[in-house]
Amino acid sequence: MRRLAFIVALLVVWGAFGFGINRFLDSRRSNVAQARAVVAPPREKSAFSLPGTIWVSQAGHLYRLHGGQFTDMSLPSATGAWIQPSVAADGRLLVVARSDAYSDIYLVDGATGTLVKQLTNNATRSGHVELNAWSYWPHPTVDGAGVMFDYDGPKVGTFEVHLAVWSGPIGGTLESTRWTTPATYTGGDVSPVPLPGGGVVYASYALDDASQQIVSRIATVANPGASPVYLTAAADDCNAPAVSPDGSQLAVICTSDTQTARLEVIPLVSGVPGQARVLVANCLCASPQWSPDGVSLLYLAPADVSGHFQLWWLASVKATATVAPKLLTTNLDLDATSAPAWAPS
Amino acid sequence: MSAPEAPWHPRRQHRIRRSRPRRRLLAVLGIAFGFVLSGMLGAGLYFSPAIAAAFQDFGRTIHHQPTSARSPAARGVPAAAPASIATSTSAFTVLLLGSDNDAKFPSDAVLTQSMILARVDPVTKQVTMVSIPRDLNVPLSTGGTDKIDKAYQYGGVDAAINTVEQDFNVHVDHYAWIGLLGLVRLIDQVGGVDVVASNPVLDDFYPKDLTGSNPYDFERVAVLPGPQHMGGLQALQYVRSRHDDLRSDFGRSVRQQQVLLALRAKAKLLGVADLPDIANAMSSQFTTDLSLAQVGELLPIAGNVSLSNVQQVVLLPPYTSSQTIGDQEVLVPNWSLILPLVHKYFPQR
Repeated sequence: MRRLAFIVALLVVWGAFGFGINRFLDSRRSNVAQARAVVAPPREKSAFSLPGTIWVSQAGHLYRLHGGQFTDMSLPSATGAWIQPSVAADGRLLVVARSDAYSDIYLVDGATGTLVKQLTNNATRSGHVELNAWSYWPHPTVDGAGVMFDYDGPKVGTFEVHLAVWSGPIGGTLESTRWTTPATYTGGDVSPVPLPGGGVVYASYALDDASQQIVSRIATVANPGASPVYLTAAADDCNAPAVSPDGSQLAVICTSDTQTARLEVIPLVSGVPGQARVLVANCLCASPQWSPDGVSLLYLAPADVSGHFQLWWLASVKATATVAPKLLTTNLDLDATSAPAWAPS
Repeated sequence: MSAPEAPWHPRRQHRIRRSRPRRRLLAVLGIAFGFVLSGMLGAGLYFSPAIAAAFQDFGRTIHHQPTSARSPAARGVPAAAPASIATSTSAFTVLLLGSDNDAKFPSDAVLTQSMILARVDPVTKQVTMVSIPRDLNVPLSTGGTDKIDKAYQYGGVDAAINTVEQDFNVHVDHYAWIGLLGLVRLIDQVGGVDVVASNPVLDDFYPKDLTGSNPYDFERVAVLPGPQHMGGLQALQYVRSRHDDLRSDFGRSVRQQQVLLALRAKAKLLGVADLPDIANAMSSQFTTDLSLAQVGELLPIAGNVSLSNVQQVVLLPPYTSSQTIGDQEVLVPNWSLILPLVHKYFPQR
């Protein structure tokens, strides 16, 4: 009897040992594989509180960050993935709803998340998927009455799809005025931001003859159809321009056609670029946004090996003081191609 | 009447005394063996997907064509001895193949959408990647002249390898083939890749062969530019689209190399314990002649290679030129420029 009990106990111990080895190996899986599941919706408080209200996009949801607290705007997911918010003159938001084949711009109440108006209608009824259109990167015009944005229409029946800068009145047809003529088969002119003094600044993609690569230069045009003036060199490969509220500074992301980026600030005096300053180097920085007072900058970048983008804050961009960026969020997976919007209240 | 008892023999008594420690020793060894066995069983169950993959997808044999069968393009170039089988210290050449294993073709006769010839030197930690354009019009090892992406369709991995060997006059030590779905699953398995999208990648005629029911259907894609974290499907759209790129297949080759290097960055974070998940994800979507152990050896090597030590080559004009031959647009190789460039990094066979 004692021998039988001993054998049963031994079998149990052996089984437990084998199970333990199995679980030990399971625990040795790398964080990178486990990180797939660790993407919490931004419900928790941010690391510290910034003044005003910030809107960010994650996994197609738009979130409002106020007083250090994230709130899901609960925009209808059936409409599409909600990205690229910007604050309109009356405090409401311009937001893109992206579906599989098209995207549209909506006017949204930034406090309640109520849809006020659909400003574009890019879905085709023809059944030909290529006749749908994209609209991206909406920004209010300086007078507040219109929207400046990217649009890939009208269709011409080729393989070519390129984004150009357009503008139109909020109360009328948004695709009224075409501002730029992009280089063909490059992706086009993207991320338009109206300049306070008039005109628009944007990222213009074109083939660089020297490197035979498609690179981006920050360009500006004063009027629709005017010849662009380039503010950065092709070798710098800069995109994602953000203009400070007074129009005196330009924040950009430059990659020099590499797989790392740097956040730079370029002073603008009467539209003429000064010496660029690197604020953050060797990062995967994306989509900068100025604070409403033009003193600090928000941008997106990963904080760990997961590669998920978080909010970072540079308290001051003054040339006299070097400020280390502060991590505002953790464990999020923010849309890096969707710059945060920041309102003063 | 009972039988008389046998007298107690002192030698027998001694034998019993001696056998007790032996029994104890055997019992201890048996218990220890049980622990080893149960531990192996636990580990075996954990690694079972990887073990299955090791038999099914790894360690395939390459059937090299004899050197005498080299094409006219490579003839006249003196042939060197074949490179030795790759070890953890010797440099080796690997042909990376990516196929559109969609429903348009039989699973064993697909086109290779991506062919990257890579030279890896584990000692100097240098990697050279040459993207071979899929439309390159070359003599195929299976006979005739056609686009190089058809070599795999006509004769599988061996034909793809032999075509590259005969036309570029290099020896391919190893190969790795991955299907589109395998790439998507691999990227998802490692938690996505971090990529700087070099330009907006827009396509109104992107094949809807992975997500739809009709493999000849199209969908629209728009990968927006700049640094971002890509999941598998988005990364595939980024590396596969070519309709709206001025550089056509060349632009796509550049993007493929970007994502490959982003995957390399993730590889250095992986360990042996990740192999079952990866094997599960890539089941029937990946084959290689390397053994599972060799792949395990290569993971840290991949992680130790810095981006500055990676040489990326794309065969843009004047190395190639566009021409219409018959009813198809092809790229015609300029061998007098290509071979010296390739042999700068890859030993001749």
